[in-house]
Amino acid sequence: MTLILRAFRSEWVKLQRRTLLIGTYAALMIIAAFFTVLVFARAGHPSSGDRDRFVSLAELAQPGGLVLGLNRAAVLLGIVAFGVAAAQMASEFSLGTIRQLLVRQPRRPTLIAGKHLATLTFLAGAAAVAMISAGIAAIVMAHVRHISTSAWGSTAGLADLGHSVGNIALATVGYATLGLIVGLVLRSPVMSVMFGLVYLLIIDNVLSAVVSGASRWLPGQLLNTVASGGDSTTNFGTALLTITVYLAVSLAVTVALFARSDVTS
Amino acid sequence: MRAGSNSPTTSPADAPFAVATSGLTKRFGDRSVVTGLDLAIPTGAVCGLIGPNGAGKTTTIRMLLGLVRPTSGSGTVLGHALNERAAYMARVGALIESPSFYPTLSGRANLKVLARLGGIDESQIFVVLERVDLTDRANDAYRTYSLGMKQRLGIAAALLAQPSLLVLDEPGNGLDPAGIVEIRGLMKTLSDDGITILVSSHLLSEVEQVCDHLVMINNGRLAFQGHVDDLLSEQNVELLARTEHPEDLASLLTLVRATGHSARIGDDTLTVTAGVAWAGELNRLAARASITLVHLSERRPTLEEAFFNMTGAATGDANLDHAQAPR
Repeated sequence: MTLILRAFRSEWVKLQRRTLLIGTYAALMIIAAFFTVLVFARAGHPSSGDRDRFVSLAELAQPGGLVLGLNRAAVLLGIVAFGVAAAQMASEFSLGTIRQLLVRQPRRPTLIAGKHLATLTFLAGAAAVAMISAGIAAIVMAHVRHISTSAWGSTAGLADLGHSVGNIALATVGYATLGLIVGLVLRSPVMSVMFGLVYLLIIDNVLSAVVSGASRWLPGQLLNTVASGGDSTTNFGTALLTITVYLAVSLAVTVALFARSDVTS
Repeated sequence: MRAGSNSPTTSPADAPFAVATSGLTKRFGDRSVVTGLDLAIPTGAVCGLIGPNGAGKTTTIRMLLGLVRPTSGSGTVLGHALNERAAYMARVGALIESPSFYPTLSGRANLKVLARLGGIDESQIFVVLERVDLTDRANDAYRTYSLGMKQRLGIAAALLAQPSLLVLDEPGNGLDPAGIVEIRGLMKTLSDDGITILVSSHLLSEVEQVCDHLVMINNGRLAFQGHVDDLLSEQNVELLARTEHPEDLASLLTLVRATGHSARIGDDTLTVTAGVAWAGELNRLAARASITLVHLSERRPTLEEAFFNMTGAATGDANLDHAQAPR
């Protein structure tokens, strides 16, 4: 555990870089606030056919109204988490710094564990500021749209908030772990981030739209389901279990291969 | 393989050796990069690792550092088996090929990453920065460093763990002559402190000045290991003679060859393959023929000549020269 903690503290020296820290945190704050503003601005009295795309003013006044905007931003939060984790891992290979790290910490799984733990705490902080930003935006927009916020502070409202935060945190861990795996495999930050964007935003969605039932086993769709707390096709528990098995097996195989591979970069 | 007089007669895994390998082999696919390497680097030695480009030097270093898995063979570093690298790496410092750091972090922050990872007291960062004369620029971003400064930071990183074994791969790269002299002095100081140093370098004149032990690899195989003097003593010593009248050189050449010695003329000088013990005889030979010698000296082969003789790279191993050779 001490060795993992060393790797964790070491990684945080890099994560404190102003461009990375402020850039990521500011980007997530803006994304969360933007989606919240969008949800509140477009809210109205949608017809039954539009209910999937727009929320009603009445829904926003419900206990869960506070986090509806944040829920809509969850996918983008996940993409950012994926990108940060993938780039952090892959850049060690593209810069050649992996050699230096392995000289100081030859236990490769330990190094990966410490690095990933640090990235997750970094992303937890990013998600926290995103949630605060979304909350502030929701309160401001509720005032602008004359939406009652009294239910948000109720017991049910706080429970909804807790569930949403937990679900988004779990999905963020999943996205970040997926990013770590892709970064370890591709070893190039640009390739890894491109892969994430193309797969998660395009391929995963196209497959899910074209292949019936695919959303029950596609990783991107499963993470979306976890972030939203379950949907009509897959319940939360099944999605969480499936994606956990996927990621655990993939991570174990990737780290095992890395532990045995030659570092010639 | 040829070995010097201090080549081990005992098992290479014995404690007197900081690094010992037996039959160390690495293949990438069908290509064998290192073949059956039996190294025995004495503890406390400053050992030069030399060989033409592609000879297997860096792969050997990487196997010792656990970055590359040997295909076969075994070995020990600081008394621990190669597959127990966690047991010895805490006492090893290494600069592998070109220094690699995070461009946007300062030199100090880069060392902090490594210090924290290795559980090294962060006060050591100041010590090593002082040692490589980088204190003034320690807070500047690494990307703003000159090549020489980057190299010095790489050496600082290697010294961070106060190592018992220091592995330096081309430490002179990017350094100006003053920097090279500094590194030479640093290596001597570290050696005096009892640290074993394994240095791979293209600068054979530097290796000759700094190293007391030598490992020469050619085509992935050990060509020589032992004391530098042992290698040089295996090479032919030559006598150089100049005559008062250059036209006498041809006569003297004939007389020398008549004694059975090999000789040649070049640059108004007669070069005879013979040691200093034969200098008197050469002088008498000239005197009997009424030839006056104005210069008579012995020339010992340089490490570079020995290297070329042993590797057969007389036309020049690619990129191996006296100048700093960026890789």
